Amino acid sequence: MPQEQDRITSQTGPEEESQGLGRVDADVTGQMDDLDAVLDDIESTLETNAEEYVNRFVQKGGE
Amino acid sequence: MPQLRQERVAGAEDDPSHGAHDHDFSRIFGIETEYGVSVTGTARPCDAGQVAMTMFRPVISRARSTNTYLANGARLYLDVGSHPEYATAEARDPMDALAQDAAGERVMARLAMDAQRTLRETHGPDATVHVFKNNVDSEGHSFGCHENYLVRRAVPLDVIERELIPFLVTRPLFSGAGRVTRDGFQITQRADFLDDAVSSATTRSRPMVNTRDEPHADAERFRRLHVIVGDSNRSQVATWMKLATTHLVLCIIEEHRRTGGMSPFAGCALADPGAAIKAVSRDPSGRARLALADDVPVCRDRTALDVQRIYLAAAQRFVADHAAAAETILPGAAQVLELWESALEAIACGDWMSLAGWVDWAAKRRFVEAMTRRHPDIGFARLEQLDLAYHDIANGNVVPSLERHGSLRRLIDDAGVTRAVDEPPQDTRAALRGAFVARALRAGAQWSCDWTHVALTAPHRVECELLDPFDATPTDDYRNVMAALD
Repeated sequence: MPQEQDRITSQTGPEEESQGLGRVDADVTGQMDDLDAVLDDIESTLETNAEEYVNRFVQKGGE
Repeated sequence: MPQLRQERVAGAEDDPSHGAHDHDFSRIFGIETEYGVSVTGTARPCDAGQVAMTMFRPVISRARSTNTYLANGARLYLDVGSHPEYATAEARDPMDALAQDAAGERVMARLAMDAQRTLRETHGPDATVHVFKNNVDSEGHSFGCHENYLVRRAVPLDVIERELIPFLVTRPLFSGAGRVTRDGFQITQRADFLDDAVSSATTRSRPMVNTRDEPHADAERFRRLHVIVGDSNRSQVATWMKLATTHLVLCIIEEHRRTGGMSPFAGCALADPGAAIKAVSRDPSGRARLALADDVPVCRDRTALDVQRIYLAAAQRFVADHAAAAETILPGAAQVLELWESALEAIACGDWMSLAGWVDWAAKRRFVEAMTRRHPDIGFARLEQLDLAYHDIANGNVVPSLERHGSLRRLIDDAGVTRAVDEPPQDTRAALRGAFVARALRAGAQWSCDWTHVALTAPHRVECELLDPFDATPTDDYRNVMAALD
């Protein structure tokens, strides 16, 4: 299997025709530091009334 | 992707009963996703039906129906129980199906934001529409993400049940979307809501695999396998892996049917798939012991990990046996096997966190646990909210943030999603349907279509059947329809 360019990142640049079939790296140890940043993002946007958020989501069953 | 045309059986053009694709591994993939909807930030509650109808106003005004098809060949409609639903156009490659599924998220998000603008006029400036790509609401109503695979009809239903379901029951180890519950974290959304293994009914029971014969293809040669047991995935890699691994398993089942002998999956048939998937769902270590069917020789039970290892080993053998054609049978096959193996190994040694880059339940669990460490007195409602926010494709910030910070991997970037919103796959009949819809919309024509048929309905009816999902070649009838649209 020929080595393919690593295109599996969070980049948003233009893709080549093969639509990003680069190597999907299973190692995320480098991303543990970013988890704090993610939590900050989430906390700044999540609505404060959790009960209302949850209880407002009621559907009937699907197929 | 024209490669598969070369595999046409010799003489097939002379003998219409001897079809192309009877003996190869080409497949049509489709994903149908039922979305959940809600509105928060309003003084008066707004029920799901109201939100969904508001989202679908532009669809109704254009199509005079809550059911329509799009220029990318997809079907967009409002389902039973007020679920906006998106069914992807036919794809021959799991990556194309993924791109179309991501296009569906974008289409839904746009409808949601337009509906939000409308609702803010009547329900206040804080009205916020949520569109959940998930499988359970707050009251335990469940709904689906259904995969469709075209399989060769030569494989009997009971063989599919016996040989595929153990794989589907244990697949959540890497395809599960996870769910926060009062009794702990489950790795699937749906396990508590599925009981029967295979059923022909779809509304009363909750079958895992549905094989009603509406193949939207030649019914003599194909059947449409409708898999209901899967979770809705946010991770693009998980969606790709879900389709790709299932495809490999179906290839093995089909090939074994042709060649005969003992099935590689004979030792996996489960005594009770419904109980098994519940056990799998509650055990992120993969060590839950699943009872095997009485007629399985020697073994009484197997762990979920062992079942998956059997399927993985068979897939590795299959890809090795077909090494020259592997990239045609499944583009990216080597990478699929690598990811599959690494997932099972990580789970086996308790290192599930290393899968947070692509396994939805691992990503969700990791961030929920991190939030709990940050706020040790976090309430259950807040955890449920975080779970739902993970699935909100309209106003959810969890997945975008995980992607932005490189925590969750993508395979299709924004430009690729835009292309998939605008264009169908070019190597299936979706290309014909999509081009028809695009032209009909530009012409302001009156039209209708479904999976196997397109029609201009006024001033005269001009129509054409599209019976072969593998065929993107315009016929004379199709050309007549397109010409009439000019």
